[in-house]
Amino acid sequence: MIYGDKMTGILVQGATGKQGEFHIGLMNSYARQVGGRGVIAGVTPGKGGKEVHGVPVYNTVKEAMRDHDISASVIFVPASAAADSIMEEANAGIQTIVAITEHIPVHDTMKAVAYAKMEGCTVIGPNCPGLLSPGEVKMGIMPAGLFSRGNVGVISRSGTLTYEVVDELTRAGIGQSTVIGIGGDPVIGQTFVEVLEQFKDDPQTKAVVLIGEVGGNLEEEGARSTDLPIVSYIAGISAPPDKRMGHAGAIVEGGEGDARSKIARLKKMGVPVASRPSEIPAMVRDLFRDHC
Amino acid sequence: MKLREYEAKNVIKEAGIPVPAGFLIRSADELTPHLDALGGAFVLKAQVDVGGRGKAGGILMASRAEGKNTATELFGRQIKGLPVREILAEQRLDIQHEYYLSITVDRSSRQPLILFTEEGGVDIEITAKERPEAIRKAIANPLMRDIPAFMLRELIGTAPKEIGPIINKLYRIFMEKDALLAEINPLVTTPQGVFAADAKLIIDDNALGRQGFKVNRDLTDREREAEKNGFSYVELNGTIGVIGNGAGLTMSTLDLIEFYGGKAANFLDVGGGAESERVMQAVRLVGSVPSVKVIVVNLLGGITKCDEVAKGIIAASIPQKVIVRLAGTNEAEGRTMLLENGYEMLDTMDLVVKKAVEVAA
Repeated sequence: MIYGDKMTGILVQGATGKQGEFHIGLMNSYARQVGGRGVIAGVTPGKGGKEVHGVPVYNTVKEAMRDHDISASVIFVPASAAADSIMEEANAGIQTIVAITEHIPVHDTMKAVAYAKMEGCTVIGPNCPGLLSPGEVKMGIMPAGLFSRGNVGVISRSGTLTYEVVDELTRAGIGQSTVIGIGGDPVIGQTFVEVLEQFKDDPQTKAVVLIGEVGGNLEEEGARSTDLPIVSYIAGISAPPDKRMGHAGAIVEGGEGDARSKIARLKKMGVPVASRPSEIPAMVRDLFRDHC
Repeated sequence: MKLREYEAKNVIKEAGIPVPAGFLIRSADELTPHLDALGGAFVLKAQVDVGGRGKAGGILMASRAEGKNTATELFGRQIKGLPVREILAEQRLDIQHEYYLSITVDRSSRQPLILFTEEGGVDIEITAKERPEAIRKAIANPLMRDIPAFMLRELIGTAPKEIGPIINKLYRIFMEKDALLAEINPLVTTPQGVFAADAKLIIDDNALGRQGFKVNRDLTDREREAEKNGFSYVELNGTIGVIGNGAGLTMSTLDLIEFYGGKAANFLDVGGGAESERVMQAVRLVGSVPSVKVIVVNLLGGITKCDEVAKGIIAASIPQKVIVRLAGTNEAEGRTMLLENGYEMLDTMDLVVKKAVEVAA
């Protein structure tokens, strides 16, 4: 598993909001199930002293850090304040930040990610479902019921499409090491390249499913950067140019980032590319047969 | 959102980058008071939200004597199907050399990327393919207010020195206006100095509120309805309507339709935790597209309640067939409700899509 385990103490920013409260409940029920620490503190400015599902809430991240051993965080605060939350956490010394929030202006993300890098911290997202390492830890909003523990890492720019693929894998008896949604925005803290580096150093992960979509060329950069066995799937082969397909980052611009040329480049590198999600499990099995 | 040329030029002019003298007119009569300032020969440019408008007949050369007639002609044209409601009448420049300058968000470094080439005036994508070495690049630090002087020197090379401050001014616009793209193509030298002959600004949709830009896009009624409901919606030209949750899953559903030989009519992402009212609105919206023969609903996720979704589909009560794939909380209740009301619910996205393609054929 990567980016955290059972022993990871998690902080939630935006703890008293509807989303924050709901997902603290789900994250901690998963933590209880696997015997992990889960969410141990929350932060909402002005709501210090409250409790959410028994989790103490603080006014600032630094106050929470004084009382608890925290190394990761999940951010649910609204778009206008989310970049500030990333910087507050990076400044307070949190190592891994998962930003769930959608609709953060790109310039805010760009600055927050640059600042976090200066502070030596890792940002996952924004506009992502977070990550789940079956049997270890859930940091985010993924539906735990679909997952099973195993040796396949999954990296994706999407949420529900990831659940679809995980569901297919689990039904086929293929378990996962860590499933991570890196986010659907044009600027994200961890791209395929960085996550693949983490998987490379993870003894549990033997192969990776890389789920991409139209827009940019981060999928190809990722595939080029690693020698881990990879299966890929790229959504958006039917996406028209210059139309944003739901995600802020899912757009074919200036003839760049279309699915067909992405798929062609991946295949040229020797990466098998599924033409639909239901083909992925069989292709992963082929990888295991050839590489392991 | 892409700003229209005159809006982009206003922003650029306010920041101190010289632009040609220009006037926005909404009828041919409005041209008359500006004729003196425009001189003997000038350009009329249709302000429509399409690319390649020059080739589509949206830009005309005009003279003082014939200006009004030329404007009347341009107002009467349709440019790629769009009526011409506004024209930018602009002074003609005595161009000596053309350069290309742009600033974008680089996904790979997550920082602003500045591109400059002394070989402007032609299609930048062609230059990028054929002579990539002619394009100079710099990555700026988004935490800095200005581009360092050394970086400007590296960018401009042998081009005139006054271009350096123009690049930095465009960088400030890019940073301060939440731009995803700031482009001057061509940036030109004339005996009167350097000018931005054309300009393009794309502002981040998520920052339009704080930037105070009015949304100026021409939306269809259905697109407006989708926006009101907070759906991500793109209209395509097929016969199979699509409703999904999450951008990736919805795109993947469209792709699967193509895989099985069908044609999707739209992309509609209802978003997370869809309640019955929203689902009903979505089904009615897609059902109102005249070409739609059948609708695929493909919803998956932990927090989507299947009984709520079923309630919405049934309440929408549209004439077309709706084929459903649902996975999530209260799946059994949702299934029962749908079956009792005569709807088809299948277990996988392959099955729903295959079925829809058969129905649409």
